[in-house]
Amino acid sequence: MKKSISTSLYTFLAKTLLWGVLGAFTQANAQMDHSSHAGMSAPSKPNNVCQGIGLDCANAATPFMTKEGKLLLAWAASGVVSVAQSMDGGKTFSPAVKIAEHGKSLDTGSDARPQIVADSKGNVFLAYAFFKDANWNAQINTARSIDGGNTFTIPESLVQDSSSQRFPSVLIKPDNSIFISWIDKRLVAAAKQNSVSRLGGAIAYSSSIDAGKTFQTERFANESSCECCRIGASLDPKSQVAIAYRAIFPGGIRDQASQVINSKGAGSIQRVADDDWRTDACPHHGPSIAVSGSGKFHVAWYTQGAKRSGVFYANSINQGATYSKPTRAGAEGENVARPYLLASGNQVWMVWKEFDGSYSSIYLKQSNDDGITWSEGKFISKTSGYSDHPLLLKRDRDILLSWLTREDGYQLLQVGNIQ
Amino acid sequence: MKKYWLGFALFVVLLMQVAKADPIPMKPYQIGDWSSLVKSANGAPLAIHFWGVTCPACVKEMPKWGAFLKSNPNAKVIFIQVDDVTPEMMQKMLSKAGLETANNYYLAAPFDERLRYEIDPKWHGETPTTILIDKNGKPIRKTGLINFQTLSSLMRIST
Repeated sequence: MKKSISTSLYTFLAKTLLWGVLGAFTQANAQMDHSSHAGMSAPSKPNNVCQGIGLDCANAATPFMTKEGKLLLAWAASGVVSVAQSMDGGKTFSPAVKIAEHGKSLDTGSDARPQIVADSKGNVFLAYAFFKDANWNAQINTARSIDGGNTFTIPESLVQDSSSQRFPSVLIKPDNSIFISWIDKRLVAAAKQNSVSRLGGAIAYSSSIDAGKTFQTERFANESSCECCRIGASLDPKSQVAIAYRAIFPGGIRDQASQVINSKGAGSIQRVADDDWRTDACPHHGPSIAVSGSGKFHVAWYTQGAKRSGVFYANSINQGATYSKPTRAGAEGENVARPYLLASGNQVWMVWKEFDGSYSSIYLKQSNDDGITWSEGKFISKTSGYSDHPLLLKRDRDILLSWLTREDGYQLLQVGNIQ
Repeated sequence: MKKYWLGFALFVVLLMQVAKADPIPMKPYQIGDWSSLVKSANGAPLAIHFWGVTCPACVKEMPKWGAFLKSNPNAKVIFIQVDDVTPEMMQKMLSKAGLETANNYYLAAPFDERLRYEIDPKWHGETPTTILIDKNGKPIRKTGLINFQTLSSLMRIST
């Protein structure tokens, strides 16, 4: 009798235990269902976040135009990085190739986007960042295609380091070598281990001469940069790299810097403008740089500095040693953001985004004299829903705007001509 | 021996039930919610703090917000997490900061210019950002780390 009571009690407890465990599992599964927010305690409102992995739900899309006029588009949507090809200027796309799936660990910060370039032999190189651990350390993964983007290798880490690497910025050179720069936090991590307080991140770079299969040992261009802004990069006429990024200057000033990187290494750090933005916040808003045929640097950036606030443009005829007086993009008082530049010969194009409370609009300005004089800002396109940053690219003699919108689809619009 | 085991099993089950009941409701925030959020303090000064789990400065500062609320339990503070991450990721960081029972929101819409416009059309999404609403409903935006001494005097003066 005693034994049977004990057994039934045991059975009861075992069932309760199982039930409890199952309950916990159900909850864990629900919480892993990222898109539904089912793990949250009863959201009172419907979730209006787009949940697919297609371009229609993407938060960022990056184009690359091959010499043959094929558009390669890489995008991030709902934690998945995909690539598709278009032979008709973005009207129709080949079935998307899924490169990687990281769920909510994919870096979808507002300045993060997958990078994609292709060489003249049909090799495609892709890079993106995701958060690899519970401390939000990021990792840059790369994937390669040897068949023009039809199939890709399994993504692998760009560098072997346990700290954080984020915001890859990729260029392809005319000799088919690949240049990559990124925000690297290993110096900050090392300082932390020695109980030294160190801000931000560092600008690291490397290059590959085998289509991204192997990279040279990474080097640092600037050991003190903002940790949450994209790096702008452009090639000069000699195929040297010019980068622009938000540096941290003494006193915690997060202003723009430019630097030349060639086979000898990184040149001196040049300040683009004295905006005097003393901040410890993450602006999530990096600059854009384009080098024209004369070797002139054209830089556009966002600041909330004590000396100026908004989106500005300046240029340099001496590789960044001195810059022209910054001029404002868009009207003062307007919500102006996300400038992007492209140059060809002595022509320069600049786009940016404005929001008026209802619509996000893209405006374009053009210079035909290497950035000395500019046209008025011209309205190009608008959308009422979510939209990505505006980007510019070339196709033969056409200048194209690449703009991903949630309501009006992916747009590839001709906005200029190379003279 | 079996008894001890059963006792332990029961204890584990109870623990799990407690753990299950634990997550404090985080509320969704989306476009259109700002004015009601601002009014929710009923005229008392209110700090609305925007932070993200992937923003290093925010993560460093959150425990200080936890300490601030501990020493100012009547201060009205709302936290809005802006990164597109899972609830567990947010809860984990909130628990670490001692803010798991605070007034927490997450974004149920992209953290873009449309969402920010009604909050402050000049705010471009820097994080951390704190918007202090005084007793007259006037907002003051502070981007970057907060001086908690200033904050507590601001919130006290206006009470």
